Amino acid sequence: MGLRNRLIKWARIKSPWIIHFDCSSCNGCDIEIVAALTPRYDVERFGILLRGSPRHADILVVSGSVSHQVAPRLRRIYEQMPEPKFVMAVGACACGAGVFRDCYNVLEGVDKVIPVDVYVPGCPPKPEAIIQGVVELIEKLKAA
Amino acid sequence: MAGLVGSAYTVAVYGLALIVVVGILSLFFEWFDRKAFARLQNRYGPLHTGPSGLLQPLADFIKLLSKEDITPEAADKLLFALSPVVICTIPLLTLFFIPVFSKEAIVFFEGDLIFALFLATLLYLFVFIAAWSSTNPFSIVGGVRAALQLMSYEIPLALALIVPAMFAKSLSITTIAKWFETSFQPYALVPLALAFFIAVVCAQAELERVPFDIPEAESEIVAGWQTEFSGRKLALLRLASDIELVLMAALIATLFFGGAAGPWLPPFAWFLIKTTIVVFVFANIRALFARFRIDQLLRGAWGILLPLSMLNVFVAYVLMQMM
Repeated sequence: MGLRNRLIKWARIKSPWIIHFDCSSCNGCDIEIVAALTPRYDVERFGILLRGSPRHADILVVSGSVSHQVAPRLRRIYEQMPEPKFVMAVGACACGAGVFRDCYNVLEGVDKVIPVDVYVPGCPPKPEAIIQGVVELIEKLKAA
Repeated sequence: MAGLVGSAYTVAVYGLALIVVVGILSLFFEWFDRKAFARLQNRYGPLHTGPSGLLQPLADFIKLLSKEDITPEAADKLLFALSPVVICTIPLLTLFFIPVFSKEAIVFFEGDLIFALFLATLLYLFVFIAAWSSTNPFSIVGGVRAALQLMSYEIPLALALIVPAMFAKSLSITTIAKWFETSFQPYALVPLALAFFIAVVCAQAELERVPFDIPEAESEIVAGWQTEFSGRKLALLRLASDIELVLMAALIATLFFGGAAGPWLPPFAWFLIKTTIVVFVFANIRALFARFRIDQLLRGAWGILLPLSMLNVFVAYVLMQMM
């Protein structure tokens, strides 16, 4: 691997910027994601920043169950992100519909709409679990 | 019009050195600002990228350079590609008028302070063009807000920067910096302190930092005028805002604290110390305040800052006549 590729890989590992997309979450997972971003856990230590625009972000953090109504919007946000991009499904609903499984209006998880790289189960997952999810994603990047 | 440091060759060498130094300094100041901001919020800030996260801005920059560069279908392709480059170049150009390595700037002439202010205004014209060319509703709202913001802070900023020029009886940044070393008068302190306060407030608006980050306001308009920029263009825009941070810190350090002038240490060391202190002041303001609304900024700038800066110029004039 050339120096250039090594440098790019280092930069990607050290600066994962996230964008949070709430499909139709009960806000449990959202509050845990916010808790992971605020001073107590301070993910800026690892270079993780929350961005407002999908054009600026590397990791799409999705929470909540994907209803038929929100699915095309989720797909669109995903397509607006520049390559290389990664998706993290946070919470039981995002991983596989959770308690809403078999509802007439709900898809079984984010991976029915867009490819998912990391699943963080839990209802809601603790901030430590969310940070662990990002670490798993970075480990995957390192191995690639 | 005079004052090139020497031959065209020396100017070229100093210019290249300045570009390299400003590049490093802008990344360092972004780190310093983020770190100070984090410490004021009782957290650590960047920590694991290089020693105490020192390489974090570099990692962000390289990552953005390597990412996909999306140009929206509806965008004005030429202006969309051109505006980040221009926005990055203008503050770099302005830094040529500020003394960095020696007690004289690389290029200086009588009136370069006015020219520097003109370039700062020109920058926001290109911000507006960048917003307009990306044809995104969020971008356009952000661009209009940037233009409104420019109209509110520009006059108080100019009036604040004129006060040291009045005392030094020169419109050249280099001569003003020399005045601090040679013929500084204690009675100038009161108007200078007030002008410093106004200039710092206006610099926050110029830099679109937290009390006045209205054109970027991510909780209202996604990322403001930068919404559509990705990859290399966003990397350039981020670098541009860092260079602008260096520029405003250097301008305030030079016009209110004499910049590169000072005893014992070499001029570059004084420049570094003074600009770092100004960046620390900026970081404090960013941590202390929440975002104002656009109407609050306009009312505050036209209702408080402008009369205050005019009064300050008047007081400075009276003091000069009396002493």
